[in-house]
Amino acid sequence: MKKILCLTLTLLMVLSAFGSLTAGAEGYDKVVYAYATFNNIPTAEVLDTIEEKINSVTRDLINVEVELKPISIWEYDSKVSLALQGGEQIDVFQTLGNLNVAIASDMCYDITDLIPTCAPEAAELVGEDWLKACSFQGSVWGIPTLKPIALTPMVIYRKDLAEELGLDMTQINSVFDLTDTLRAVKEAHPEITPVAAVNAGNIGLQLTVENVDYLTDDYYAPKGVLMNDEMKVIDFYATEEFKAICQLARTWYNEGLVMRDAATTSSTAAELMSTGNYFCYIASYSYPEEDTAASLQAQSGNYPIGAKIVSGAFLDTTAINALTWCVASTSKVPEAALKFLNLTYANSDVVNTLIYGIEGRDYVMKDDGTVNYPDGFDSTTVPYTAQLSCGTLGNFFLMYPMEGTNPDSLAWEQDQNKNAKTSAALGFTYDNSRVKTAYTAVTNVIEQYLPALVCGSVDPEVDIPEFTQRLQDAGLQTIIDSKQAQLDAWLAENGK
Amino acid sequence: MTAIAKKSRKGKYKLAKTGPLMMIALPGIIYLLINNYLPMFGVFLAFKDYSYMRGIFGSKWCGLDNFEFLFATKDAWIMTRNTLLYNAAFIVLGTVCSIFLAILIYELGEKRRVKIFQGSLMLPNLLSWVVVGFIVYAFLNADTGFVNNTILKATGGAPVSWYSTPGPWPWILILVYLWKFMGTNSIIYVSTIAGIDKSIFEAAQLDGASKWKQIMLITVPMLKSTVITLTLMSIGRIFYSDFGLFYQVPQNSGRLFDVTQTIDTYVYRGLMELNDVGMSAAAALYQSLVGFILVVAANALVRKIDSENALF
Amino acid sequence: MSQTKAIAYEKPSNDVRNFRVFASVVLTVITVLTLLPIVLIVIASFTDETTLLANGYSFFPAKLSTDAYYYMVRQSSTILRAYGITILVTAVGTLGSIVLTTAIAYPMSRRDFRYRGALSFFVFFTMLFNGGVVSAYIMWTRIFSIRDTLFALIIPNYLMGAFNIFLVRNYYENAIPTALIESAQIDGATELTVFFRIMLPLAVPTIATVALFTALAYWNDWTNGLYYITDTSLYGIQNLLIRIMNNIQFLKSSSNAALLGTQTVDLPGTSVRMALAVIGILPILIIFPFAQKYFVKGVVLGAVKG
Repeated sequence: MKKILCLTLTLLMVLSAFGSLTAGAEGYDKVVYAYATFNNIPTAEVLDTIEEKINSVTRDLINVEVELKPISIWEYDSKVSLALQGGEQIDVFQTLGNLNVAIASDMCYDITDLIPTCAPEAAELVGEDWLKACSFQGSVWGIPTLKPIALTPMVIYRKDLAEELGLDMTQINSVFDLTDTLRAVKEAHPEITPVAAVNAGNIGLQLTVENVDYLTDDYYAPKGVLMNDEMKVIDFYATEEFKAICQLARTWYNEGLVMRDAATTSSTAAELMSTGNYFCYIASYSYPEEDTAASLQAQSGNYPIGAKIVSGAFLDTTAINALTWCVASTSKVPEAALKFLNLTYANSDVVNTLIYGIEGRDYVMKDDGTVNYPDGFDSTTVPYTAQLSCGTLGNFFLMYPMEGTNPDSLAWEQDQNKNAKTSAALGFTYDNSRVKTAYTAVTNVIEQYLPALVCGSVDPEVDIPEFTQRLQDAGLQTIIDSKQAQLDAWLAENGK
Repeated sequence: MTAIAKKSRKGKYKLAKTGPLMMIALPGIIYLLINNYLPMFGVFLAFKDYSYMRGIFGSKWCGLDNFEFLFATKDAWIMTRNTLLYNAAFIVLGTVCSIFLAILIYELGEKRRVKIFQGSLMLPNLLSWVVVGFIVYAFLNADTGFVNNTILKATGGAPVSWYSTPGPWPWILILVYLWKFMGTNSIIYVSTIAGIDKSIFEAAQLDGASKWKQIMLITVPMLKSTVITLTLMSIGRIFYSDFGLFYQVPQNSGRLFDVTQTIDTYVYRGLMELNDVGMSAAAALYQSLVGFILVVAANALVRKIDSENALF
Repeated sequence: MSQTKAIAYEKPSNDVRNFRVFASVVLTVITVLTLLPIVLIVIASFTDETTLLANGYSFFPAKLSTDAYYYMVRQSSTILRAYGITILVTAVGTLGSIVLTTAIAYPMSRRDFRYRGALSFFVFFTMLFNGGVVSAYIMWTRIFSIRDTLFALIIPNYLMGAFNIFLVRNYYENAIPTALIESAQIDGATELTVFFRIMLPLAVPTIATVALFTALAYWNDWTNGLYYITDTSLYGIQNLLIRIMNNIQFLKSSSNAALLGTQTVDLPGTSVRMALAVIGILPILIIFPFAQKYFVKGVVLGAVKG
């Protein structure tokens, strides 16, 4: 054992010697930018051309050369984490819904003091409130992606069926209005299941509960929330609202109005709709009704699709900081990194090159300012595209719209961002590092009960009491108490 | 060289041999040192409150805090029980079935059929768990699955919603395990049988022993040491479970947790959001440590009864 | 074919013949049952997407389609390249593994080797404990700089494993008589000679087994590619497949879908995923019969020799 220790120590010394090998070429600061992509990963040669194109802008503007690291979405978290732990250079990265964890484990650089000098445009664009959503203990740790974030719950339904049966969908203002409509569909078309699942364990009901601040928890596993603007942290699963949702789901389930396998299905809503065996599903979107419907039509087997808003959008900290861009705490060039990050919000060339690649080769610009892939190519065959990442990189509103999108919707989206109801605790970020044990136990209990409850496959009268009891056993109260304490401190600090 | 060998036969038999034997083992030893032993400094993580800024060595010590979540709730009992029982079932049934298959394959005695059977039985091992999950779903889903739609319909049984009925799952999981690994594992036994001195069988045949008797009295006992070796190795990993089998195959269905939750799935679900480096290191260390204690004990037991077959 | 004859030559008794019939029947049943799910996947990959979603998986789908493979054909150059990488890595890795594994197992099998127990423990310990991904990652990338090289796909983790070592050791111990080694040594053979001339030739069945296991491990591996490869031109086939598969899985999980806005993503369908699975095992179906020739020869050879 002693020998092994000795060997390890020697190696570590060698390691630290390697540590200082990150100098940029010709006096430019080298910034490594790691971003998640849903598209194919380009080859190294293609990536070089993209970097060169971006560098031609950044060299003059901010004296920076960038190295791009596109990473497949599913491995993004683990690869970035591994690289940072391994002492590799990554200067800018994004968090996918876990900013509070990133802050707690020192992944992010405190950029509070750098923002005025290095990222004034980005700060200006996202606004003070949004930056607050990325703050913790008085410091700013990241800049949220600027995009339509107000998710509005909607019913996405088959227009042709609704018309055939004379159903007036405009009268549907909440999911509770929906039951009779579903019954009518079921009666006229027994072969059709009225409601499809959005994805496994989710038929969309839970997010229709209005005015819930999830206090930086995962939306699908809340542990202690604020409701109706009261600053008291409560157990979401013990509320009447939650019970009502579960009972609604149960009614649907018992009457055969919702798919039976919703809790474990391996298909998504659009796939299910395209079979023609379903009437509608409930999900949240950030586009206006008509645009949402239009954009979903192609994926849904080209049945005529309609959309109706059934609940209001609500902005809490998570809604804003779900996708946040951070400078790595290990970065040796934090200022340059932040300057580059700033350009992804402020410089149209930079962000559009990141998304669409090089004009002519990867995309073509139409006369109306929209873009599309060159003739004979699509997203899987062009040398470079990260088009599907459009809502996750920098400033969405600077990106060229794809051909076929409605320019008016941008205005609606910006409006929604501004006018959506916001939580009074917007900006509060919860640090769960003191209650990790309770967290793991509670998460497991939620995974066990929640999907079946919100999909109606179990009786809420029996299961909710059991569920809440198990949550208490697992330590939910500890989490709620610690949340309340942190929230109170935050409120006092912010003079609320 | 000859001189050394002769000299060694007289007196310093073992001493003289160490050198050359060590030389043969050396490349392997070096590889294990680098690949397996050097990175072991990573176990420190289990006792650290990990900070990306400070790195593995700079982070603060936190004692046994990272281990707490493994024992905190009554889930600890369920997941430990499940992990142990499934592994026990896999060891016993897996061994019996693989040996059974191996004997059948060996006794075929005809090359072409050996090829076809062996090749086909191995195929499931090449499918990823995600795909296996799809297959199982194709059989068991409530609306369009085979079992409900074809088999139960034909026999007049009532449809079962499989993914919310825990009862049959231990059997389903064992079946899936056997389906995936039995063919590949049987190959080990086929090769062991192939190594048995054939003259033993011939002598038995001359004595008039039936094929069945030969199998029970010669083949099976000859497999003993392989079985012991493999079992000891499995015991070392008895606190680990195949994540895909227990997560993907039951489609992560909460209703089934009582029979599908293992240590690995619990850790995965619990840390999904927390993403905590120290806690996952702690879980792995805990699993290894228990396996280590058990295997050392089991090995000591084997050594006592039958020293030839001890693992070390 | 000579092996077959050698067995047939023994003029099997009734008893033996009966047993063979029994074995054939049982194996046929087991094999058919084992293959059914795989046939199902193949059929699903040729099923029309909408039919698949509406009616579920079926052995007799209402509507067939080759769309899923059309999706693959468009990326055929990438897929072929990935096949090439995987085959190369598997071949080299397996060969290297055999050399190292058979060698280290030999001293471990010698009951008169002083450090037999210690060495066995040294090997077994690696099966139980590991330092985790991070420390291994730091070591391989910082000290050995193997990132984005073929070595990264071959060397870490799979070159030698305790399980295989013990399989070989066990075989040496039990199937090769100690007397054989002793008499060779009396004749003046060195350890190296004993190893090459006696142990290796006699251990063919187990070497074949270990080779097969190692090859399967290399073929199925995607973790090395995940950790150490960023250059897509070095992607093996599993990395290609797992990336498409897991991206879909990731986006389907409810929390991620909400996070990113489900509408942005047009996912490949179920039949495409089945086609991916088929593509992952197809080459094995083609290559395996050739490899098996040696493998089965080893088995039957060992059987005949005795």
